[in-house]
Amino acid sequence: MPSGNPNSRLGIGRRTVIKAAAAAGVFQVAAPFVQTARAADNVKIGLDNPLTGTFAALGKNELIGAKLAVEQINAKGGILGRKVELLVEDSTSGDAATAVQKANKLIERDKVNFLLGNINSALAQAMANVSYEKGVFHIVPGGHTDSVTGSECHWNVFRVCNTTRMETNSVSQLLLTSYGKKWYFITTDYAFGHSLQEGFEASLKAANGTEVGHDFTPLGTSDFSANLIKAQAAKPDALILLLAGDDMINCLKQAVQFGMDKKTHIAGAQQELEVLDGLPAEALVGDWVFEWYWKQSNVPHVAQFVADVRKRSGGKVPTARTWFGYASVWSCQLAAERAKSLVPVKMAKAMQGMVLPPEVALMPNNPFYRKGDNQLMPTLFVGHAQKPPTGGDPEDLFKVTEEVKGMDAALPVDQTGCKMTWPT
Amino acid sequence: MVQLILFNVLNGLIIGAFYALMALGLSLILNLSGVINFAHGGFLAIGAYLAYTLIPYVGFWGALLAAPFLTAFIGILVERVLIRRLYGRDPLYSLLLTFGLAFMIEDGTRFIWGADSLPYQIPGWLQNTLSSQLFFLTGYRVFMVVLVAVAVLGLFLILTRTRLGLRIRAGTLDLETLSVLGVNVRILRNLNFGLGIYMAGLAGVLAAGMLGLQPTIGDSLIMPSFVAIIVGGLGSLPGTLVGGLLIGVASGVTTVFLPSASEAVMYVLMAVVLLIRPRGLLGEEGRF
Repeated sequence: MPSGNPNSRLGIGRRTVIKAAAAAGVFQVAAPFVQTARAADNVKIGLDNPLTGTFAALGKNELIGAKLAVEQINAKGGILGRKVELLVEDSTSGDAATAVQKANKLIERDKVNFLLGNINSALAQAMANVSYEKGVFHIVPGGHTDSVTGSECHWNVFRVCNTTRMETNSVSQLLLTSYGKKWYFITTDYAFGHSLQEGFEASLKAANGTEVGHDFTPLGTSDFSANLIKAQAAKPDALILLLAGDDMINCLKQAVQFGMDKKTHIAGAQQELEVLDGLPAEALVGDWVFEWYWKQSNVPHVAQFVADVRKRSGGKVPTARTWFGYASVWSCQLAAERAKSLVPVKMAKAMQGMVLPPEVALMPNNPFYRKGDNQLMPTLFVGHAQKPPTGGDPEDLFKVTEEVKGMDAALPVDQTGCKMTWPT
Repeated sequence: MVQLILFNVLNGLIIGAFYALMALGLSLILNLSGVINFAHGGFLAIGAYLAYTLIPYVGFWGALLAAPFLTAFIGILVERVLIRRLYGRDPLYSLLLTFGLAFMIEDGTRFIWGADSLPYQIPGWLQNTLSSQLFFLTGYRVFMVVLVAVAVLGLFLILTRTRLGLRIRAGTLDLETLSVLGVNVRILRNLNFGLGIYMAGLAGVLAAGMLGLQPTIGDSLIMPSFVAIIVGGLGSLPGTLVGGLLIGVASGVTTVFLPSASEAVMYVLMAVVLLIRPRGLLGEEGRF
């Protein structure tokens, strides 16, 4: 029965088109359902991460790292002598309800022993609340907002990537001393961006600097021209871009097209190889923090890891995301073997202060899970984006100028707001 | 502040012209065939990726010419194989079909070209700003506006000066009578769909020069296009053009005062228009 205005020859009314427009909104959060076959006696790791949407590329790389780790663990006898199985769900890039629903499915129906996810900070926090409620061992590979191991920390939730405060602290000094104290922020409007901006604002305030303006932009923004016009009018010393994924690509591309890299200094905290890979050469600008970089010639096992990943990703080098996925799955194995149990609370206790072995750490300074907030204390790589060196690897798009120890960048546990309650 | 607002009005017109280009294609298909093409953003992505693939062989200009035609050809095939079967049925069928098609195209582009964003290079001389004061007027953006203007003008000339355009306009008013008069409505709808998809393909080639090239490139542009059609008035191509421009300006000006609402403002605009003038700014009463 056609709907709409009876005068309409086509059977389409204004209401139909409006409903269609509303459905188009739903389309952007709907996601396919991914599941792999499994056996009952396997140890199950559930990865609930974006495979579609703005964080799809990041999610894909975390998945490559996770799969590689599962392969290696199984080749070495699995976890507690049992084969490891990875169950993968698409959380979408921005819909917390879907991420929670998929986490519930992994926990309730698939009975996973470990839950991993999410790249999106807000989704990671929502999943952490679910895993805490259900008492499931949970590792957040790549969701950065401080609260995950801060004010909303839980005994069962560990994090591999840095907190946003660690990222801002590691690069703030460089920006303040090199480029000036008047900053303008363009910030993605959700938990990740907000906590990054709070971190930079704290550094700016401590240095008596000035925030000349800020714009919060919705996740998935494609056009930043109006924000850039506004930023330019404020004449900042540094334009700080606190964006992620495709948003960062869109904004950087437009900023450089507007010539803003020649008028002010472009910088930010977290930068990713996936973003730099997607930029034309002229847009490879700015000072940033990488959480892991593939070129570490003096660090053992890195070359082998790079070679292993290249084989599985069409020749592309691993990114920080690949390492997050890899280290997260290996952390599950290490926790279980150390606890000699798959009981979550025993594994969580075994993880306190646990140092990652070199073949998993793949970075200097012996990264470890800090007791008290379950936050990994890795090394942060501060530097600047660069065009690939002549005759060098086309993916060598970042020049590391400084390595910062996680403990030097992180707030002390008592200042993170983390008050952990362990089950009795 | 006044200068900032003026800058954003001008910038909004540039962005709005782009929304209008996409919305016009969507509107053409909707007006003649009654298909709400959810996959329009997907066709935009196809246009962009085809251009990316062609650039190493035929250069930017060759890709700019060829990619929209190739996208239109794919659109014509899709109409012939899938969409044609659903004419005359409840619009929900074609809506669901194109909804699914949008997913397939997004995952298809991800499968063929990968999930990572790809670096899309535009000619160096187009990257420069035209003046240090109006720094947001880059050669590329001016070129984009000129091309959109040419495309819109071309579309209106096709619709008003050619036999095909005459038939499309007549079909929009009364398809059955047109059919009785001996016009092959199947071919007409097929070509019209291709013309609409050509606009999406062209929008894709242009968008990739400004935005990151990723499988979701069309997602953020489909909503403004729908809203442009509703604001401008269903059935009115000039209305769609005005709707697109209005959305661009509203979004730009809102950014000056409340950046986080820059996206939401188009829905507010749509709500206001629907309350005051339900048929849209230039929509005909009783037409839809």
